[in-house]
Amino acid sequence: MIKFSKAITAGVLACTLAASAAAHAADVTIGALFPLSGPNGSYGDIFGSGVNLAVEHINADNLLGGKLSIQYEDSQALPQAGVIGMNKLVNVQKVPYVLSAFTGVSKAISTIATRTKTVAVNGGGVGPDLAELGQYFWNMIPLANYEVRAIIPYLVNERKMKNFVLVYVDDPLGQAIKKEMEAALPTAGGKLLEALSVPATAQQFGGIAARVRAANPDVIYVASYGSQQSQIVKQFRDNGIKQQFASYTAFSIPQINAQSEAVGSLYTSQDIGWESQDSVTKRFVDDYKKKYNRMPTAYIANYYNCVRLFGLLAQQLIKKGLPVTGENLLKQRLETKTFDMVGGQVVFAENGTVSMPIQINEIDGRGGKVVRAAGK
Amino acid sequence: MLAYILNLATLICINAVLAITLNFIMGYAGIFSIAHAIFFGVGAYTAAYVALHASASIFLVIPVAMLVAGALSLVLALPALRVRGEYFVAASLGLQVLGVTVFSEWKSVTGGLGGMIGIPPADIFGFAVTDPVQFLLLAICCLIPVLLITSVLLRSSFGRNLKAIRDSESAAHAFGKNVAIIKTMSVVISAMLAAVAGALYAFYMGFINVESFMLDTSVLLMAMVIIGGTGTLLGPIVGTVLLMLLPGIFSYMTFLPQTEIGSIQQIAYGLAMVLLMIYRPGGIVGSGKPRITKEKAA
Amino acid sequence: MLLLQLLINGVQVGALYALIAVGFSLIFGSTRIFHFAHGSAFTIAAYVFYDLVSIEQIHWLIAVLGASVAAVLFGLVLNRFVYVPIQKHEGSFFTVFVASFGVGIIVQNLCGMLFGRAFVAVNSPLSQSMELLPGLYVAPLSGIAIIIAVVFFVGLQLFLSRTHTGMAMRALSENPELVRAYGLSPRRLSMTVFALGSFLAVPAALLSAAGSGLNPAIGHHVMLISLAATIVGGVGSLRGAACAGVLLGLAENLSLAWFEPQWSEAITFIVLFLFILFRPSGFFGRVTAS
Repeated sequence: MIKFSKAITAGVLACTLAASAAAHAADVTIGALFPLSGPNGSYGDIFGSGVNLAVEHINADNLLGGKLSIQYEDSQALPQAGVIGMNKLVNVQKVPYVLSAFTGVSKAISTIATRTKTVAVNGGGVGPDLAELGQYFWNMIPLANYEVRAIIPYLVNERKMKNFVLVYVDDPLGQAIKKEMEAALPTAGGKLLEALSVPATAQQFGGIAARVRAANPDVIYVASYGSQQSQIVKQFRDNGIKQQFASYTAFSIPQINAQSEAVGSLYTSQDIGWESQDSVTKRFVDDYKKKYNRMPTAYIANYYNCVRLFGLLAQQLIKKGLPVTGENLLKQRLETKTFDMVGGQVVFAENGTVSMPIQINEIDGRGGKVVRAAGK
Repeated sequence: MLAYILNLATLICINAVLAITLNFIMGYAGIFSIAHAIFFGVGAYTAAYVALHASASIFLVIPVAMLVAGALSLVLALPALRVRGEYFVAASLGLQVLGVTVFSEWKSVTGGLGGMIGIPPADIFGFAVTDPVQFLLLAICCLIPVLLITSVLLRSSFGRNLKAIRDSESAAHAFGKNVAIIKTMSVVISAMLAAVAGALYAFYMGFINVESFMLDTSVLLMAMVIIGGTGTLLGPIVGTVLLMLLPGIFSYMTFLPQTEIGSIQQIAYGLAMVLLMIYRPGGIVGSGKPRITKEKAA
Repeated sequence: MLLLQLLINGVQVGALYALIAVGFSLIFGSTRIFHFAHGSAFTIAAYVFYDLVSIEQIHWLIAVLGASVAAVLFGLVLNRFVYVPIQKHEGSFFTVFVASFGVGIIVQNLCGMLFGRAFVAVNSPLSQSMELLPGLYVAPLSGIAIIIAVVFFVGLQLFLSRTHTGMAMRALSENPELVRAYGLSPRRLSMTVFALGSFLAVPAALLSAAGSGLNPAIGHHVMLISLAATIVGGVGSLRGAACAGVLLGLAENLSLAWFEPQWSEAITFIVLFLFILFRPSGFFGRVTAS
């Protein structure tokens, strides 16, 4: 974790210095609204590592003629702080393109994005209402409905687990997952015994654990994120809950993968063909491993792709002699539709969402393994 | 850059309204409430709801917001009549926590944690206020009346009654002042005017959610009033400007690690509160020495 | 069985709340200082313990000592350098409150900067519960918590009623002037009160570090509970604060049987609000509101 923040600090300082030193007409700045502090601060580090690598690659390839730099603002994963950061990015830095994270924050800044015609791209939030935030809001990650729909048949049919209890954080993401489960489970042959909501700031789960035990499920789906999901996992196990845990991409962060109580958990994530030999993926994986000494994860690849998307679109605009504004970026994306990204070709739907294959992973305490490849 | 300054100025106006209204009950009536953010929130949510479902005309939205907040403030007035000092703080704390839970849970009205998005811009006689400069003018046009109303009230006999109650409730009672009514009225007025700030906020951000109305906000408002100087007219404004400029200064210090700026800002707030209370407890505008208030007596 | 489980959870959580509340009540009752930063003493003790045991890998007994020293030192330093100067200017109750809140913010963010904002925990086998009866899970840590709470509380009562310092502390809350007239120093007594009060937060902090885990915001919640318990129990009554602490722990957990979890915190405060409206002196309070 310390390596990440050092990298980000170095990256930001380097970019700031470079940007101020060489005021090229062709230099471009884009923005990133990540949680850099607060209980979800670790996500900021994770997303940032992918973003920084992409910026490096784009500048190394000289895709834009000038230098690309990235300005980070701290959203703390809170909508209010996100709006303030967004205002700063749009009004002071005048960026045409902002990377966003977390469903709540994304919803909050979408109004500003539409009003100021700034493109906002999400690579981490999965709440389905992210698809309805206007044409200036794009999503680089398949949304939660896909994830839930992918894991339920697997759990019911392959693992023979029919009785579910859902523990969800009481915010748009959790509510969306609950809605999805209520719709998908009966048709798949499973049953939702209980849906227990937890406040977003809750830290004590002993009582909830008691209720989960009383319901006696086969599997417990945890729809939370950040430090809260680690606390849920630990306290549940401490309170005698031995059943299977299941979750969505949020479980891909290192903190959970290193937790002994989480071993055996199953979670969905995008299927990024890490072994793929196409030049984009290979370069990303190799350089990331070289820099950080570990394999990247789906979040990192998504945010890399978000920046890469900007690079590709901006490159085409510059070739045509058009200014790199949010409006033009949107037009260009609608025109181009398909892009070569990490993990293969990505196709954008009109409403700015992408669909990607989903895989199912298991935490084994040694880096995790894929138990069901995509294709379902 | 101009846009950023406009943004800051507008937020300062909105917070100044809140600080002035809080000072009204704190500095003059001696009612120390940590629930002020709730009335801010009620005003904002009401405004957003009306704007989204009925009309965005400020001549409808603001009065409705004021009425709802005023009605709700009667809940706070109840403990105000029964207890003082730390007990009242605790009761207002209870109201604050309760209010936040209601804001988070009443999803059909407040949107829950997701909040309300897409609030239409303020509408004045059919003209939609979208330009930041125009909005700042609107904010100032709300700030000035609030300031005027509160100063007029304070100079009137109502204001003198308030001060009498603050300094010695039993004496005021002995003189035949209807303490209960006066206290209740001051709480209601304070809440109604705070709702004006709430409505402005909702229009300005286009998005509101419960994060803006939590205990941290209430304490920040209290700090603005106390640091500026309770019981003075200019105090709350000074306090507001100071505390709102503080985080901005830090985010421009690019030599600080980006990941820690949030924490450093918070530490700066905390330090400001501690140091100012030690060295200038009467507040900046105050005489520098605090008034001995009744709460000291056990 | 669910109810019984929630009851036991409630008692365990309540025991910890009671300890913390008693610490706050002692300080507030004796010195009338609204020591909002009491939650910070808790946070500091917990993080020091975590740091010594998990990061520095020092033996836990020494870590306990370290945490206690840290908390006590914090209380003393705060009193000497923040509260006393403010009181010299005859600062009002709320001046102290704002300053205390400021300290709380500083400590919370410093801990966040030093230890990260993610949740951390001291790994201990004691936190794993065992099935005592079918459907009833209790961790050794819970039992330890209850025993420690009782021991400390009994010890505190003895201290206050049998020793000179203890009696002087009780006198301080009633009449500081008289205490001075008897040749005792109220200032010195305040220091002792702060030391003792902060020390009382330590056991709860350590048990939380091993049990439910920590993050920098934990002091906040702790503080709100202490305040609620002090008032519900009656300002000036330690017995009241302890009982109220247990009551709030029970309410928080038992409410889960019937309500959604988001309402637990609100329920605590509804209880508080109602008490203030109808019985401000709390359970055992001597002082009623003016």
